[in-house]
Amino acid sequence: MQPFVYVSLMPEALVASNLGAEEFGAYLAVGSQKRARGQALFFKLDEKYAAERLEVLGQRALVDPNGGRGVRRSAYLSIYRVLEQIAPEALESLHLVTDEGRVLTLLPADYQPEPGPRFHLYQEFCPVTPRVVSTLEPRDFAARITDPREVVSLPALLFADLELARLADDPEATGIDDLPYPNLEHLRDCLRELREKPHKTTKTVIRYLQQDVLYRTIRRGFYLATAGGGFRHFPMPSREQLETTHYAWWRSALSSFGA
Amino acid sequence: MHSTLFWLTPAAAVLALGYAWHFYARMKSAPEGSARMAEIASHVRTGAMAYLRQQYKVVGAFFLLLTLVFAWLAYGLGLQNRWVPFAFLTGGLFSGLAGFFGMKTATYAAARVAHAASKSLDLGLRLAFRSGAVMGLVVVGLALLDISLWFLVLNAFIDDPDPAHKLVVITTTMLTFGMGASLQALFARVGGGIFTKAADVGADLVGKVEAGIPEDDPRNPATIADNVGDNVGDVAGMGADLYESYVGSILATAALGAAAFAQAGDGASAYKAVIAPMVVAGLGTILSILGIYAVRVKQGASQRDLLNALSRGINLSSVLIAILSYFILRYLDLANAGGIWGAIVTGLVTGIVIGKATEYFTSQEYKPTKGIADHARTGPATVIISGLGVGMLSTVVPVSAVVIGTTLAYGFAAGSWAFTPDTMAMGLYGIGIAAVGMLSTLGLTLATDAYGPIADNAGGNAEMSGLGPEVRKRTDALDSLGNTTAATGKGFAIGSAALTALALLASYVEELKIAMLHNGQDTMVLASGEVVRTTLATLSQFMEYFQVHLMNPKVILGLFIGGMMSFLFCGLTINAVGRAAGRMVEEVRRQFREKPGILGGTDVPDYARCVAISTAGAQREMLLPSLLAVIVPIGVGLLFGVPGVFGLLGGGLATGFVLAVFMANSGGAWDNAKKFIEEGHHGGKGSAAHKAAVIGDTVGDPFKDTAGPSLNILIKLMSMVSIVTAGVNIAFTLF
Repeated sequence: MQPFVYVSLMPEALVASNLGAEEFGAYLAVGSQKRARGQALFFKLDEKYAAERLEVLGQRALVDPNGGRGVRRSAYLSIYRVLEQIAPEALESLHLVTDEGRVLTLLPADYQPEPGPRFHLYQEFCPVTPRVVSTLEPRDFAARITDPREVVSLPALLFADLELARLADDPEATGIDDLPYPNLEHLRDCLRELREKPHKTTKTVIRYLQQDVLYRTIRRGFYLATAGGGFRHFPMPSREQLETTHYAWWRSALSSFGA
Repeated sequence: MHSTLFWLTPAAAVLALGYAWHFYARMKSAPEGSARMAEIASHVRTGAMAYLRQQYKVVGAFFLLLTLVFAWLAYGLGLQNRWVPFAFLTGGLFSGLAGFFGMKTATYAAARVAHAASKSLDLGLRLAFRSGAVMGLVVVGLALLDISLWFLVLNAFIDDPDPAHKLVVITTTMLTFGMGASLQALFARVGGGIFTKAADVGADLVGKVEAGIPEDDPRNPATIADNVGDNVGDVAGMGADLYESYVGSILATAALGAAAFAQAGDGASAYKAVIAPMVVAGLGTILSILGIYAVRVKQGASQRDLLNALSRGINLSSVLIAILSYFILRYLDLANAGGIWGAIVTGLVTGIVIGKATEYFTSQEYKPTKGIADHARTGPATVIISGLGVGMLSTVVPVSAVVIGTTLAYGFAAGSWAFTPDTMAMGLYGIGIAAVGMLSTLGLTLATDAYGPIADNAGGNAEMSGLGPEVRKRTDALDSLGNTTAATGKGFAIGSAALTALALLASYVEELKIAMLHNGQDTMVLASGEVVRTTLATLSQFMEYFQVHLMNPKVILGLFIGGMMSFLFCGLTINAVGRAAGRMVEEVRRQFREKPGILGGTDVPDYARCVAISTAGAQREMLLPSLLAVIVPIGVGLLFGVPGVFGLLGGGLATGFVLAVFMANSGGAWDNAKKFIEEGHHGGKGSAAHKAAVIGDTVGDPFKDTAGPSLNILIKLMSMVSIVTAGVNIAFTLF
């Protein structure tokens, strides 16, 4: 059987593995002896692209049970600038792993823009991890951040939109103490700046997020942006679906601490 | 002497036990749900019964030893009433039986409640509450049965030509079986408290914090022990605690009643005063059954509706007992029936005030707890600080309520607030019967308390069995209600313990009198030179004879030791939790390490091992505090005699009562502050504020579930030990 190929996003890496997505996710989070803990995010490559990747890198032997020497269940194939080298259509599914190893699979879907205008809070995951506020809706933000003509741009980016509650419409809104983000007043300041400077579309709130992200704050889902207009949307299930179909994952996600 | 009203007591006992059986049978006939639900419930039941078996083995050995000691004191040295060894045994046996039935019911009920909740909230509530009612009714039923039987037996066997004096001997003898109940309560509360928190803290530290798995996750090897602990602490432990208070208050009041009229040689009035607390308790038991049936809700009930349903039952019973007890006392033709009735109502109201105050300081609906949650935004240190502050402030109302209640009860019963030697005997009787009044609806109050762990376990069962969100929502609502009732129940238990201990303190004097007469000391020479006959001496003359006043250094020394005992007890029990939890943590880590399939869900944890560790830890750790609670009063009596013992009991009562309130309320407030945040405030689950609040909750757990409740027993047990060993105090004193 052909090994699977995954694009780990935290940290960025290309991994070949004989483990299926659920097992691989659990392994990423808690290790084989179950002594580690940590959130994980990864893509699963489509079978065809996975096979191509393995041939190109010539590392099939590492995890192929028939390959002989040094066979392992999983092996790193690359640990640098991985995401930008993967075509968006090669990404079959996105997997969210809680810090104790529960895996939720998200499949790509068509993106439907929301009526605006409103503020957005984006958490970038790979290859960089700032948290930013923006007046741009996800597709426009994706186009902007991957435009090589911009001063600040990336060849590819995975990001998610986070819940802003009433701050999405008004930075001065009260009753937002229930948002779990650290330093809410700084978040407000950033939103105010966007409102006062219409030419400014994006502002960094946290330069480098050092904690796990609370999955419950993910609003509509995840977005993959690639240079040249590539854009894919991986929507989160509805709250009802999370509480019924995906309850074990949801419960695990709710038990984690993060920012 | 005879009154047909006396038979209300054994009749109420039989009725209570009959209804307990009826609720038990109804519960057993309810379906247990899926095979998985039944399996999980079976694990919890097995663990709970394993704990009880082990506990009763240790307790049994202790009881045997003490029975032999009492037998030697009674039959060997002649310093003890000859009925004491038997009375001691029956007190412990009945208390243990009540705990056993309560636990059995609770562990059978959990899965059934979860299944009933899948049909409707009302069905879930009614089944959970009536299952809790089994505990309540068994406690009051067995207590009243024990009291009635001993009264009849002693009335038949004790030969005394003076009816009033005979009643004094009967009631002071009956007091001693309270010692058996006290000791059983000590083990149940201390051992149970250590078990429950070791399991809870251990499960949380490794499961939630280290491995990151959620609450009540079947992958956590300690989760079953955690569920067992809910039953051990809040069912068996609480049941034994309140059994002791119930029995102690009735017997202390009866003894005070006999003493109040013995001097005047008025046997008829003495008899009425003796049976009055028994009859009031019996009436309260019957009305509690009525109150239990009043607890029900409509479909789609809110949290407020659930709380109102419980309150309706309690209020109905309380109002009825307040009204009907008046007519009972009038029918009994008790002297100053109106005043005695006033004392009973005062006790009832005091209990309600203490419950409401506890609710205010611990419920997330109110400012104190919300304030702690607010402080969680600035980190765990401020959570701890504000929780400590809230806990300390929360002592004001219960203590004031007891002070005011005691003053009013004294004045109503004595017919005067002069606090003179003339009014002392009836005044103290009033305090005793106020405690009886407070505990008169115990069958219902304990049902409310025991309901909590049943609802909690039902929620755990629903989670572990993977029941749907609608069911989980209902079990969460039932559990949330149970958390509210648990806190108010603890406040009530502390308040009733304080009043009972006060009544026992007064009864200690009667025991001294009996011991002196037994020693052949028919007269006492007071400090003033006056010679008084022991049988006719007033309370004040006893105090003068033994020099029980603050200028006597022995009293101050006793006060210091008594005050210190509360802190020593708390320190020992809290550290015991830490050690026992540490052993649990090591075991869970070992299982995760040696069976990695557990976390992956492909291997089954060894739940029984964790239960065994927590059980062994609890049994080992409870011995030292329990021994101290028994040895120290005896030691102080031997060293400093009666004045030292009074100081010890006074110091222990004053600090123990206040410390118990502080601990219970701090712990409850921290717990509910965490829950308030988990509902979505201040960042909700997973936020930095939540993390801080979890730390506060972890600190507060041993406060409210181990150390605080154990103090209830300490303050009563020290009085009981002193009562039982009064003869030793009279015969031997070093200084």
